[in-house]
Amino acid sequence: MAFSTTVSQRKHIKRKAPRGFLKRVFKRQKPHLRLETSGDLLVHLNCLLFVHRLAEETRMNAFENKCGVIKKEHVQAAAKKLKEYGKI
Amino acid sequence: MAEAMADSYNGDSEPTTRTLLRRVLDTADTRTPRRRRSARVGAQKALLETPSSRRLSSPTKMNVRRHSHRVRSIGRLAHVHTSGNVEEQTPRTLLKNILLTAPESSIMRPESVVKPVPTPQVVQSSRRDSSRGSLELQLPELEPPTTLALGLLAPGRRKQRLRLSVFQQGMDQGLPLSQEPRGNASASSLTSSLNLTFATPLQPQSVQRPGLARRPPTRRAVDVGAFLQDLRDTSLALASPGDSLRTPVATLPADTVLEDTQPFSQPLVGRSPSGYHSLTCLSHTEVEDAERAVSLRTQSSGPRLQNHSLYVCPAESPGCWFLLHVRAESVLDQDTPNKYHPGKPAELLAGKAKKVDAHAVSFPNNSSAISGEDGVEPLQDGVDEEAEERMEESLSVSEVMDTTGTQGSVRTEKSKRHREMSEAVEAKEPEGSSGDEDISGRRASPELASSTTEFLQARQPQFLEPALPPSTAVLSSEPLEPLPTRLPPRARTPGPRPRQDPHKTGLSHYVKLFSFYAKMPMEKKALEMVEKCLDKYFQHLCDDLEVFAAHAGRKTVKPEDLELLMRRQGLVNDQVSLHVLVERYLPLEYRQLLIPCAFSGNSVFPAQ
Repeated sequence: MAFSTTVSQRKHIKRKAPRGFLKRVFKRQKPHLRLETSGDLLVHLNCLLFVHRLAEETRMNAFENKCGVIKKEHVQAAAKKLKEYGKI
Repeated sequence: MAEAMADSYNGDSEPTTRTLLRRVLDTADTRTPRRRRSARVGAQKALLETPSSRRLSSPTKMNVRRHSHRVRSIGRLAHVHTSGNVEEQTPRTLLKNILLTAPESSIMRPESVVKPVPTPQVVQSSRRDSSRGSLELQLPELEPPTTLALGLLAPGRRKQRLRLSVFQQGMDQGLPLSQEPRGNASASSLTSSLNLTFATPLQPQSVQRPGLARRPPTRRAVDVGAFLQDLRDTSLALASPGDSLRTPVATLPADTVLEDTQPFSQPLVGRSPSGYHSLTCLSHTEVEDAERAVSLRTQSSGPRLQNHSLYVCPAESPGCWFLLHVRAESVLDQDTPNKYHPGKPAELLAGKAKKVDAHAVSFPNNSSAISGEDGVEPLQDGVDEEAEERMEESLSVSEVMDTTGTQGSVRTEKSKRHREMSEAVEAKEPEGSSGDEDISGRRASPELASSTTEFLQARQPQFLEPALPPSTAVLSSEPLEPLPTRLPPRARTPGPRPRQDPHKTGLSHYVKLFSFYAKMPMEKKALEMVEKCLDKYFQHLCDDLEVFAAHAGRKTVKPEDLELLMRRQGLVNDQVSLHVLVERYLPLEYRQLLIPCAFSGNSVFPAQ
């Protein structure tokens, strides 16, 4: 017997993926394309990893500047770095 | 036979059961082991059988026990078990009888039970002492009852009248299970233990672990009836004020009554609709409808109620719109008779309601505000405006108020303005006119708000979070005009808003994650920067996926494309596979959906 594709209502998932939001974004961007069912979960995973990397980089920048608060410049520099690495 | 055995031990008048048993055991040892074994086996068998046949009672055994001394009986039993006495039947039958009769006797005749109780206990203790291998089989069986009995022994003395409740209490006390089968205690404990085993097999466990003892949870009857009654009362109260709403003036008391009796009233829901309703005198029917719809607020609540319901509905639920539409219509219908009150507000409300329908932009706030405010027409106009503009609740409320005019009690100045506006609105002019009126109305509404002191006013502030909480309050508080329908006044802002909000809300999800990963305080500008980065990231992502899907000759993006993307990004390599990442970062439920796993019935999910 296979599991259901949907999660039962009573289950409370921590850090839920905004599947509807992701699907909508993809549809807005590429209306001629379709996204498969489990695809948006992987997109969510990708987003998590991206945000993780970005935050790490930002933190490093803030530390280097000896700042206790993250500033806009830190974020910008981190994004730039990630971009040149191909969003590694 | 038993009697004979009993007689043989008549000489043993030792008070201690243990000593008696010892004696028996010693004597028994002399016997042939085989016989003993057979006897023991028979006894064991009897033991095993007894639980099932406990019901059977052997009157003979009972008599024997009664007659024989307790110790003797115990000794006899011990002798029977341990020594495998001459008569094979005796031990078996003895044991069987004891087991059969003991529980019954304990329950039915406490006194009689006392006697048999010690015997099994003695037997058990003797067993323990002897620690005979052959008897081990029987030991575990009797262990629990014995322990139970012992436990009972400790706290209570001879409790000849052992009731189940008492027994359970004793059990719950956490019988330490003193391992001292005193004569009396043993009897009582045995009795209780027998009772225990007979009555509740689970008890033994609880005794050994008193902490786990379970008691039936005391349940209090849920006073649902009272609650429902309250609901009905409130609804009735709401209904009555509706009528009063018709009369221009005395809406205050009704409003106060209706104000917020609902235990579950949600401020959000209640906000604009209630405010508006209070402001505008809604037709009774409207009120009733509202009540039915929401079964909450008071009279003005009719539309208010509807608004409430509308509020509850998600912004884009068609149902809300439907309700709004209905409301608007009802408001419109009723607007005419109540020209005085609804006047503008009604019209505005009606207009708004219609507009709301048209735009299908369900802003609960707006709708509620609109409906709450007035009669149909002004409402309609107002609704349209708001719906289109997505005006914020407060604004809509104010508009409604203005347009509908504070038909209700409100201030003269406001009322005048409202009247003017309502007149203008009556024509159901396009939004522009209503807009103007609304604008003026807005100004008026704040005044109204300040002036009016409706109960709704108190409520309104909660409802109308955005700009005009006071105005809303005024609107709501003033039962000026019956709010025909609760049109979603939420459409205060124009179209682009809907696109931004959900998009921003979704992005904020990841922004929160960012701040969590950063573990450091962040500036607002930094957060905005993160949002921009995320936007760009999503665009890049979609482009890449499109390229990959096209490369594979597909028009659907599949997980393989995602994997390729992550591989290109360096997240997935030969050391780290996609499944590993899924396991690491995603919750279990998603992992189940992504990673194929074998299930029973020769099935794999998700299908590969």
